[in-house]
Amino acid sequence: MPPDAVIDVRGLTFAYPGGPTALNGVSFQLAAGESVGLVGPNGAGKTTLFLCLSGVLPVKPGMARVAGLDPAVATDKRRLPTKVGIIFQNSDDQLFNTTVLDDVAFGPLNLGCQPEEVRKRVAEALARVGAEGLEQRVPQLLSGGEKRRVALAGVLAMHPEILLLDEPSMYLDPRGRRELIRLLPTLPGSRIVASHDLEMILETCQRTLILDQGRVVAQGQPRELLANAALMERHGLEVPYSLR
Amino acid sequence: MTLAVAFPVRLGAPLSRVDPRWKLAALVPVAAVAGMLQTLGAASAALIGAFVLAALARLPLRWYLDRIATLAAALALFLALLPFLDHGDEGRWTVGFLSLSPKGLTLAAVLLLKALTVTTVLLAAATTAPMQVHLKALHALGVPGLVVQLSALTLRYLAVVHAEFSRIRIALRVRGYRQRFTPASLRTVGHVTGMLLVRASDQSERVAQALRCRGFDGRFHALTQFQTSVWDVAFFLMVAGTATGLLYWDLLQR
Repeated sequence: MPPDAVIDVRGLTFAYPGGPTALNGVSFQLAAGESVGLVGPNGAGKTTLFLCLSGVLPVKPGMARVAGLDPAVATDKRRLPTKVGIIFQNSDDQLFNTTVLDDVAFGPLNLGCQPEEVRKRVAEALARVGAEGLEQRVPQLLSGGEKRRVALAGVLAMHPEILLLDEPSMYLDPRGRRELIRLLPTLPGSRIVASHDLEMILETCQRTLILDQGRVVAQGQPRELLANAALMERHGLEVPYSLR
Repeated sequence: MTLAVAFPVRLGAPLSRVDPRWKLAALVPVAAVAGMLQTLGAASAALIGAFVLAALARLPLRWYLDRIATLAAALALFLALLPFLDHGDEGRWTVGFLSLSPKGLTLAAVLLLKALTVTTVLLAAATTAPMQVHLKALHALGVPGLVVQLSALTLRYLAVVHAEFSRIRIALRVRGYRQRFTPASLRTVGHVTGMLLVRASDQSERVAQALRCRGFDGRFHALTQFQTSVWDVAFFLMVAGTATGLLYWDLLQR
C-alpha cells in the first residue's frame, strides 16, 4: 500500500449469491485528499464496489484496505463507519429519521458522542452543506436537492476520512447540480464519486476510473480519458459535450 | 402529501406544554381505564373529561369531528344490533313491531361513549407533540429502543410507500386502466400489490445498508432531553386521580 493511500484495493472480487460476478479483480488506490471519478455503464459494479468498501457486502481478507482497516475483519468492519461515509443514489434510502435534526445526529449518536458534541457536529455539518434552518423539517417533504444536502450532512457529521458518493447529482435540478459541483471540492478528506454525469466528474475529480463488467478497464486524467471516443464507445459511455 | 397517520400538531396548546413523558404516562392509562368502564354515568363523565382534554389540546374541530364521525359510523354497524338482542331483561320496550332491550340500549350507549372517550384522549395526546417526540418519550418511559426505532422507520417509510403507490396509480391511469370488479382488474390489483411489496422489500434492504453504514447497532439514541416541572407532576396526579375516582365510582355503580 503506498504510504499516502487511504484506499488500497487489490484483486477485489464479489458475486451476489446466485448472480453473476459483480466485481472481477478490481485493483486501484486512492491517495489522501484525492478526488476520483468512477464511471461506467449501468451494472458495471460501481454501487457494489462502494458497498464492499464500506463493509456492507462481504469481501475476502486482504482484498481491500480502507483507511488502514480491512472490511473483511469483524473488528475493523465495526470501525469503518467512523472512517468511511457513503451517500446512496436515492437519498430516501438514508434519510430514515423523522426530522432532519435527528437524521444528521443519528451517526454521531451511534458513535457515542455526548449531546453537546452531537449538536455542535450537526450545526457544523448543516452549515457546511448550506442546509441551516432545515433542522425541524420532515425528510419526506424536502426537495430533491435539500434531501441530497441533508444526506451529505448526515455523513459529514461523522467526520469521515473518505467519502463515497453514488450518483450524487441524480434527481437534482440544474441549480441543485451546480450547487453540488461547487460544494464537492470544499468537502474534507478523500472521495470517490460514481456518476453518469461526466461533466461533473470533469469539474470535480483529479483522476477517473472506468469500470465495466466488474473490472477497472482504464484510469487516468479525466480530460484525457473521457475524451477518448473509442474507449468511451467500447464501454457504453459517451464523450462529454464539453470535450467534443 | 398527508397520510392518515399524519396529525395536525398544536404546539401552542396548553396540553403541549406538559412534558411528553408525563403526558403519555397519564393519558395512555386513562384511555385504558375508559375502556374498562361499564356504567352509563361513569362513561358519560369520562367523555366530558375527554372533551376537556380535547379543549386543552385545541383539537381542530372539523378535523376532530371527521374522525369521530368515521369512528361512529364504523361502530354503528355493531352497536345498532345490541338493542334488538336478548340481554335477559324482564321488561322489553315495544315500538310498533320492534322489541327493544333497555339493557342492550344502555350497553350500546356505554360502548359508544367509551370509544369516543378513548379516541378523544388519544387524539389529544397525539396532536400536542410531533410524533418523533412521542417516540422518544416512549423510549424514556421504558419502551425498548428497537421497537421505537422500528416504529419511527415505519412512520417514515409509510410516506415513501404511499408516494410509490400514487406513482403506480398514475401510471395505470395513463395507460387506460379503470378500477372495475372484473378478473382482469383484480389481477392488476394483485400485480400492483406484489410490485409494491417487492419494491418496499428492496428499499428496506437499502435502508438496512444505510443504517449499518452510519454505525447503527440496534440501539436507539435520542438527542431530545426532557425536563420535568412541578406542573407536569401536578397534571399527572390530577389526571391519574380523576381516572381512579371514575373507576371507583363505576365499580360502586355496578
